Amino acid sequence: MTEPDEQLTYEAATARLEEIIKRLDSGEAGLRGTLELCREGRTLVELCAAELEAVGAGLEELRLEDLVARLEAGAAAQGPPSG
Amino acid sequence: MAEPQARPDGIAGSALPGPFSVGRYAADLREYLRARARVQLFGEVWNLRVSRTKLYFELRDAAGALPCSMWRNELEALQLSEGALADGAQVVIAGGLDYYTGSKTSSPSFSFAVTALRVAGEGDLLAQLERLRKTLDAEGLFAPQKRLERPGLPRTIGVVTGEGGKARDDVLAGLRRRGWAGRVVWGFAPVQDRHAAPRITAALQDLAGTGEVDVIVVARGGGSLADLFCFCDETLCRTVALLGVPVIASVGHHTDRTLIDDVAALSCSTPTHAAESAVPVHCRDARAELLRCAHRLSVHARRALLHRAQTLVRLSRAPSEHLAGERRRLHQRLREIRASGRRRVEDERKRVGRRALVINRRVQAEALDARRAAGLNALALALAAHDPERTLERGYALVSDRDGEVVTSAAAARGARSVSVRFSDAAVDATISRDDDDRA
Repeated sequence: MTEPDEQLTYEAATARLEEIIKRLDSGEAGLRGTLELCREGRTLVELCAAELEAVGAGLEELRLEDLVARLEAGAAAQGPPSG
Repeated sequence: MAEPQARPDGIAGSALPGPFSVGRYAADLREYLRARARVQLFGEVWNLRVSRTKLYFELRDAAGALPCSMWRNELEALQLSEGALADGAQVVIAGGLDYYTGSKTSSPSFSFAVTALRVAGEGDLLAQLERLRKTLDAEGLFAPQKRLERPGLPRTIGVVTGEGGKARDDVLAGLRRRGWAGRVVWGFAPVQDRHAAPRITAALQDLAGTGEVDVIVVARGGGSLADLFCFCDETLCRTVALLGVPVIASVGHHTDRTLIDDVAALSCSTPTHAAESAVPVHCRDARAELLRCAHRLSVHARRALLHRAQTLVRLSRAPSEHLAGERRRLHQRLREIRASGRRRVEDERKRVGRRALVINRRVQAEALDARRAAGLNALALALAAHDPERTLERGYALVSDRDGEVVTSAAAARGARSVSVRFSDAAVDATISRDDDDRA
């Protein structure tokens, strides 16, 4: 079984998901293979759902200067990089 | 204006003549301008606008510009090829200054009234633009943005546009249409004047520099090519080309192709379309599709488990079913063996019975035969006892005549005269003599 990559993009995840569904629908996968595909598919569904959730909570509008200020504040809070 | 107002007092202390009524002054100005020498001018056409009766444009060069107007019938009389007179066209015009004095309800306007026009060739600005386009293309700067992977579902979208422009609302409308509600970072910048290009460039660099933006939309509504010329700035275009974040350009319309359209990852005709292109995935559809996938997976998983359970049940039942089958087979075999044994015994019994019957009959027949033989022997003995041969053996003789009739008396013997005397071993003929009679 292929473990979904943490850095998998939404498109890659949905493409793999479609591949899994197609494979399951074909009935070619054995019992063990089916369960493994279902497990991988569920992980991908969760990943995609999280991505959709992130762009579905509500539109946030931000000015560029505010974002920059926020990032700078965050960097300052973390302190200068050691080394 | 109905009637000129009564002339008011002038400004106290002013040495200038008047005050005069503005309408009269405007009429005088018009006459003054019209009295100026009529000349020929050359320059590039920009902001060309056509009304029902007149066309208006600005004649520009690097040093200055002049508003111009021309009657449409005079232009049409020139029979120029279609598109020959367009923004950027280098023209020579002839005419003179004119002034429309306006009225109470209409604004005055100053223009150079064109009475003749000749298209001299492609404008310098457009020629420069084309040269820059070729240079950037030759350097391969149209390609890098197109090689960038555009996310299907960006979390943060940067937008460079004018703060008060309609493009801003159009971008939001496009995002809403996609069902997308992530984070929009506005990089507001002027999008028209000569300060625009550096500000747009800076906004693009800053947005990309945050590392938070997945895709950037550069949006501006329609306008003349002159208005959009800031989007042909070389520095801006080189910046876009080498930016690590994909840029979607929506500047003006397709008829006005600027250089940013060439270097950007994607060029769209409207800000709404650009926003939709920034989010290729339709979020509402994607959610529905994801639910469908989850359901399909659930169905397959359930079926697989059910199948596994059924297999296990089948496997768990297999030994007892096998034993039961074996037991059934053994019982069957036993029944068959018993039946076969019974048939065999029955057959044997019948066969033995038949044989016993045969033997019995044979014994009975033999007994009968014996009995018959014994009877026969007795009869034979009885017969033998009465057999004359036996008498003959004891010394008696049987006398018969020639006819074979037994002679039982001497008289008959004499009467026969010739007789046969039979002894036990043989017969001999004899003749009865007379003497015998005498002896009798």
